[in-house]
Amino acid sequence: MNESEPNFDELKKLLKLKRHEIPPPGFFNHFSDEIVARIRAGEGSGSTFLERLHDHAPWLVNFLRVFEARPGVIGGFATGLCLVLLFGVVIAEHSETGSPMLVPAVAGNGAGSMAATVPTASAPVQFASALPSDGGIAISTNASLQPVASAFGQPGDSSLFQPASFTPAH
Amino acid sequence: MTMAASDNSPDPNSPAAMLEMDLVKLARRGDLKAYDELVKRYQERIYATIYHMTSNHEDANDLAQESFIKAFSALKSFKGGSTFYTWLYRIAVNKTINFLKQRKNKYHLSLNDIDFNAEHDPDLMALISDKTPIRDVALSELQKKLNEALLKLSEPHRMVVVLHDVQGMSHDEIADVMDCNIGTVRSRLFYARQQMQGQLADYLKV
Repeated sequence: MNESEPNFDELKKLLKLKRHEIPPPGFFNHFSDEIVARIRAGEGSGSTFLERLHDHAPWLVNFLRVFEARPGVIGGFATGLCLVLLFGVVIAEHSETGSPMLVPAVAGNGAGSMAATVPTASAPVQFASALPSDGGIAISTNASLQPVASAFGQPGDSSLFQPASFTPAH
Repeated sequence: MTMAASDNSPDPNSPAAMLEMDLVKLARRGDLKAYDELVKRYQERIYATIYHMTSNHEDANDLAQESFIKAFSALKSFKGGSTFYTWLYRIAVNKTINFLKQRKNKYHLSLNDIDFNAEHDPDLMALISDKTPIRDVALSELQKKLNEALLKLSEPHRMVVVLHDVQGMSHDEIADVMDCNIGTVRSRLFYARQQMQGQLADYLKV
């Protein structure tokens, strides 16, 4: 492929004719003035979303142009995207069914501080049975895990729960 | 304001005497006089490129103005990796190609007049002399056929022909402006010339 092949010489001569096509006389006399006037009028300050996108992410614009040139690709891409989304939902649901619930444990560990625990399925969490001496609530892990049913124990077993007394005060 | 009567050289501080990079720096700060000078320097080449791509004077005028306005608004993103001229060309080329894609094949010719010098161009005279197959063809008819043949090319192929064979740009410059490699420029040029040669066979002495 040699671009200077002699058989293009005639065409090149013919194309020289284009150089002799000139705009109307005086066309460029006020051309720059019109542009500056338009810029002053505020046209130069804004650009379309697509233009800004082209400036900052030309790769994305080129990617979108593939869709423009081949509309069939849009269908394939959309189908693929849906499949990925569906796959993600299925995986997420599957993992949720196998994961335990989050239950916090309360323990006297410091005033006003809270910490969540993530128990395992086989090791339920027990709420700690004592308030801190200063009256604050703290949550911490409890190494001696017991069944959840006994979390609050029996009334009276714990200092947390006291029987109500409605005797009028004297 | 005083004027140097004996010295016709421009004031070194005037925009007309400034270097391109200095004008760009000023224009980036919003100096419209500096930008006006930049427009004046490149208006003819930018207009001509767009005109040869569209074969329509009104479209070329609109697109050239929009290209300069867009360039002004995007000056802050101009990092100086290429010359301002190349960067400006790139904006004009992209704008024109986008316009032509939207317009698709619904073109209408609005051709500029051929200047007086064309009648003295020996190459062109050879084409319409009695030694060629097109001796009866006037320059204006030849112009119409040439523009129609150009419009039958795809936008990237037409752009390469316009920039190289009409504007006289090098392959390197075209590759830079069109954001492709030189091999692509060469192959597009070869293919475009082949296509045009076929379409204009009746007017060429091959």
